[in-house]
Amino acid sequence: MVFASLAGFVVLTTGVIWRRSLGVTRARAIETLATRRSALAAQRARLDGDIRAAISMERLGRAAEERLHMRVPSDSIVVTLQRAPRDAVR
Amino acid sequence: MTLFADRPRLIHGVLALFALAVIGRAAKVQLFDGARWAARARDQQVAASPLPAPRGVIRDASGEVLVESREMVRLRIAPREVRDRPRLGKLMARAGIGADWVSRATDSTNKWIEIPGLFLPTDVAMITATRGVHPLPVLNRVAPPSEGLRRIIGRTADGGVAVDGVELALDSLLRGVAGSATLLKDSRGRRFASPSENGTAARPGHSVTLTISAGLQDIAERALGDAVTKMGAEGGDIVILDSQTGAIRALSSRRADPRATAATALTEPYEPGSTLKPFIAAALLERGRARADEQMNTFGGKWTYNGRTFEDDHKGASFTLADVIRFSSNIGIVQFAQRLTPREQYEVLRDAGFGAPTGTTYPSESPGRLAPPKSWTQQSSASLAMGYEIMVTPLQLAAAYAAIANGGELLQPALIKEIHSADGALQYRHERRVVRRVMSNAVARTMRGMLKSVVDDGTAEGSSLATFDVAGKTGTAKVARNGHYVKGAYTASFVGMFPADAPQIVILVKLDNPTKSIYGGKAAAPVTKTVLEAAIAARDAALDRRGLASAPRHVAAAPPADDPAPEPVAATVVTESAGSVPFEISLEQPGRPARVIAGARAVPDVQGMSLRAAARTLHRAGFRVIVSRGAGEQWPAAGTMAAAGSRVTVPAAP
Repeated sequence: MVFASLAGFVVLTTGVIWRRSLGVTRARAIETLATRRSALAAQRARLDGDIRAAISMERLGRAAEERLHMRVPSDSIVVTLQRAPRDAVR
Repeated sequence: MTLFADRPRLIHGVLALFALAVIGRAAKVQLFDGARWAARARDQQVAASPLPAPRGVIRDASGEVLVESREMVRLRIAPREVRDRPRLGKLMARAGIGADWVSRATDSTNKWIEIPGLFLPTDVAMITATRGVHPLPVLNRVAPPSEGLRRIIGRTADGGVAVDGVELALDSLLRGVAGSATLLKDSRGRRFASPSENGTAARPGHSVTLTISAGLQDIAERALGDAVTKMGAEGGDIVILDSQTGAIRALSSRRADPRATAATALTEPYEPGSTLKPFIAAALLERGRARADEQMNTFGGKWTYNGRTFEDDHKGASFTLADVIRFSSNIGIVQFAQRLTPREQYEVLRDAGFGAPTGTTYPSESPGRLAPPKSWTQQSSASLAMGYEIMVTPLQLAAAYAAIANGGELLQPALIKEIHSADGALQYRHERRVVRRVMSNAVARTMRGMLKSVVDDGTAEGSSLATFDVAGKTGTAKVARNGHYVKGAYTASFVGMFPADAPQIVILVKLDNPTKSIYGGKAAAPVTKTVLEAAIAARDAALDRRGLASAPRHVAAAPPADDPAPEPVAATVVTESAGSVPFEISLEQPGRPARVIAGARAVPDVQGMSLRAAARTLHRAGFRVIVSRGAGEQWPAAGTMAAAGSRVTVPAAP
């Protein structure tokens, strides 16, 4: 009886410690992933900013003019065509 | 014997007493001191850590993210804990950290080093994984992509404290509510998130959507930068306002002084000069004190009144009220303004929104300056008619012109389109807000006609587009510093509306002290044309394509022989309108057959006619008139077939 109680106590304690250790390990893994996620989010923000700067008129427009000899068209050569609504097209 | 016989009982008794002592102590610890010991254990094993709230995102009108918060790291190094110092030194050098700081971080005589600046976590991942490096995460605001947006949105200091701009104006909404996390500490003092104890989650700030169109802002920024450089100006401002809703579509500002970090279009008032004349004319029409075709003697361009001499750049014997606006006659407008009492003149300008902040969401917006009549001098009425003795911000002036554009209603300019809470719930949406009616619809229509003539053949031909009509008014005003006008210093400005018949946007261009040309028509008006051409060609410039498609367009004139070749553009832009009907914009490509110009007609012969008669004849025939200096012959020659609306140049002295 005493032995059984002792064994039960040991098993229960081991189970509690194992469960807690597992929880701590997973918490560390979650923390590592959260850190990684915020790092990647920060990198995404920087890359978004770089893309915005790269496609701005200031940079892209100037490059198109200097390298490709393109110019902003005057309004007389921009033709705005109005399409029929999509549901009217069959 | 008794002693030996009682020994087990004695031992049992001692053990029982010991057990009782243990139980008693346990009972004391558990029942009486339990709370204190539990708190002490908690202090050793658990730590509370504040969770900063991510600051809200700021977007442009189309939803594109302009500013957001991101997590950066501050590098803190304990050199004595570092095992492989040469390797750490190499990693730091590779991350771009200065040699001075690298040597300090690898010098074991130092106990603790904090590297200045913030680093992207991915850039310094190998450094932060090194023993002895203690990274500190810091929430940092990404800077807006352009100078103009930086001025509008403003800055935040370390710790996310708002400094200026929209960040400051909406700080209480953007900053959110900080939370707290419960961390467990292991035997080595390392902290990690508790799997069982949840703290209080941080509540992110609201997200703010501006009325600014990133595409149009981009166009305005580039046009202003080019104009400031080309005209040798000290700086300038561009305001683009939706004339129907009051939404601010673009605000671009440049200043040579790097300390001027605000959106100066809202904070720096200036004397507007002739761009104020239309409001005097509108007031006269509204009160029936003048007609658009009423003649006024302009004394050949020079006139002295009350001991002050007024001069016109465009000299004439007499002008109608419409011509006074078209040619920006100081003499004409000063005389017309005398039909208003000082109180009426003051009320007209006050009702147009001058002298009071517009109320847009921006801290430190200037109200400008409009003195009440009791403090006027004998010259004030004349000065105000010409746009002096009054200070307005570019935004105030653009809002006042929007009233002319939309049929007479002064709208409150708006910089904020929407505000959403972190869970996406709509908290605020901008709705058109009428401040007051400034003029009747009929007077506004008449004024638009006058302003159209300014662009067609008045002082602002430089802003004229080939096919769309533009209306507007130029201004060239002296600059006052320390109470005196500075010789040779001018503000060149132009306020336009596009398209002229059903304006969608009002665009104000102001250049400070341009050195290449001081005139609004030469320095500022062409910038408007540049912005409008780019906006028409862009797919995301917040223009109503359906409205443009139905706007009346005049036929483009054949380019003169000395004009540059057609733009070598080879592109097709497909865009979607705000509604359900998509539009396709095709840019004409070289090599395509030339378009047939419709509506061609013969140019009438005006040789031998007076200039006035020649202009009238050509106007009646559907042509626009350009007057060249000196003698010569008309061009194109009489009888030449030319498109209606094209320009015919006639000499001033036939």
